[in-house]
Amino acid sequence: MYGDEVPLFFYSDLFIKYPEVREMFPISMRAQRDHLVGALAQIVSQVDDLEALTAFLQSLGRDHRKFGALADHYGAVGASLLATFAHFAGEGWTPELAADWAAAYDLVASVMIDAARRDEVLRPPYWTGTILACERRGYDIGVLHVRPEPRLDYLPGQSVSIESPRRPRLWRFYSMANAPRPDGTLEFHIRMVDGGAVSMALVYEVPVGEEIKIGPPVGMLTLDPTSGRDILMVAGSTGLAPLKALIEQIASLPRPPHVHLFFGARTADELYDLPSLDKMAGEYPWLRVVPAVSHDRRFNGEVGNITDVVARRGNWAAHDAYLAGPTEMVRRTAEMLAAAGMPGRQIHVEDFGWSEA
Amino acid sequence: MTVAWQQDQKRLTPDQVQSASFPMSRLGRRGYDEEHVRQFLAQVEQEIVTLMNEKTSLWNEVQRLRRRIIGRENGGDAVLFGREDAHVHAVQILSKAQLTADRYVADAQAYSHRLTEEARSRRDEILAEAQEHAEMVLKEASARAHEAAMAAFSEPPGGATEQERRGLQAELAYLRAFGEVYRTHLRAYTEGMLRSIDEWERREARSLEQASFDAAQGGDTRGGTGGGTAPDPVPPGAPSPEIVPPGGASPGSGR
Repeated sequence: MYGDEVPLFFYSDLFIKYPEVREMFPISMRAQRDHLVGALAQIVSQVDDLEALTAFLQSLGRDHRKFGALADHYGAVGASLLATFAHFAGEGWTPELAADWAAAYDLVASVMIDAARRDEVLRPPYWTGTILACERRGYDIGVLHVRPEPRLDYLPGQSVSIESPRRPRLWRFYSMANAPRPDGTLEFHIRMVDGGAVSMALVYEVPVGEEIKIGPPVGMLTLDPTSGRDILMVAGSTGLAPLKALIEQIASLPRPPHVHLFFGARTADELYDLPSLDKMAGEYPWLRVVPAVSHDRRFNGEVGNITDVVARRGNWAAHDAYLAGPTEMVRRTAEMLAAAGMPGRQIHVEDFGWSEA
Repeated sequence: MTVAWQQDQKRLTPDQVQSASFPMSRLGRRGYDEEHVRQFLAQVEQEIVTLMNEKTSLWNEVQRLRRRIIGRENGGDAVLFGREDAHVHAVQILSKAQLTADRYVADAQAYSHRLTEEARSRRDEILAEAQEHAEMVLKEASARAHEAAMAAFSEPPGGATEQERRGLQAELAYLRAFGEVYRTHLRAYTEGMLRSIDEWERREARSLEQASFDAAQGGDTRGGTGGGTAPDPVPPGAPSPEIVPPGGASPGSGR
């Protein structure tokens, strides 16, 4: 009913009452307001599924550690949230209503604070990553080599959020492109988004030796090692990163399943990691790599939309599918596979949940 | 209306004004003109009605505020109503300032986006042109070489004099040398082109640094694995490896 007015009032109220909190947010609050409304909507919609709601709040609480959120901040947020509700409810805001909302908020906050506290014993609020190298691949893609401190444990296929000191308070998610290594180093594939503040800084500006902040690993695009089915992977551009990490994990299995990897891009120049993939395919007899480009008729290989290329190369219904890349590509491919008879639980796509800020 | 000042008996009401009568002057012409008096009274009546409406709304406002003060005092909430009003006012001012900042950031970002997009499509045009040119030259050269070779082979073995054969070999040697020189030039030209594109890109990155640093916030929703969603112009791809061998000819020799 009030749209943007409500979160706008909330943050202004919070920053006036607790000016020190302002530092924790970016200059532009546009995306932030959407996040707040999104989180509130998710809480309300899950109110009948306590298990899912608790899991959501716990991950939210853990994730907020990287922003520097402390237990004290939750009280401030609660006070401003109630003040906001009171302001917009007007005459309808009764003491009983206020007490109900306060109790509900306290419950939400205590779940988040509790999860954050238990997480404190296990890991730091964020990792400090030192840039070891940045390779430019083609014109718009950078491969970043990073050493996190302390060691960062994760499952292949997962992602982390990254904040560059050149773009403070802007966190962006990137997938690790390798399975965990003995030396703990990570590889990220970063595609420059036109006008994208963070990706531009990471591809063009970040020098070797600079330190970035790395948030906790998230994401459900992880291997189901019990399925026994062969695997279809479809990567669009830098969506290759999590799938490459999965291939490394599969290589360490005693009996690796057959893996078909389709690697799609607009042009041959954007198939930025093909030499490395060809090398893997040469090494692993169970791996087949099929590159495809959509906008380059001169390309010596599969030409066309990656979803169509996958569709015309066989029926995949008996496979497990792992899809990563641009949202639209992932959606189309998942729909195509489902229509071709692949059960939904066999289709694994990237899911970052709600934790971006 | 139960407003306080109405109970004050001395007050003039619109009714009183309306029912007021003026005795006519006995000397006829020396009294007030009755019509003028009536008009005047109508004006007075209207004025009083207006004043009363204004006063009523003011009175309601006073009552509302008084209720709030009393409510605060009894309710134990330490915040005075004046401060709360000031706070809401401050929230509104800050909200307006925030929206302005949001808009500036969004504008800067849109500008940076447009700039990058334009630069990219220009880069792609130049690359496509260079590639086309290179392909054309290559095709022409190979056609001529083929022609020369065919001519050399189709010559009947005994039919040509020693002199003719030597002439043909000389021409073949010349064509080979010419092809070599042409390839060298073409490599140097293409590499020079690529270097200047790289330089252009570096400068653009530097100049964008400032703009995007100002933008520095918002936008750029998902990098990494979702990064392919930006609407790119259609690039024709890099030059084929035949045209630009790594570390090809001596740099600069063809310019």
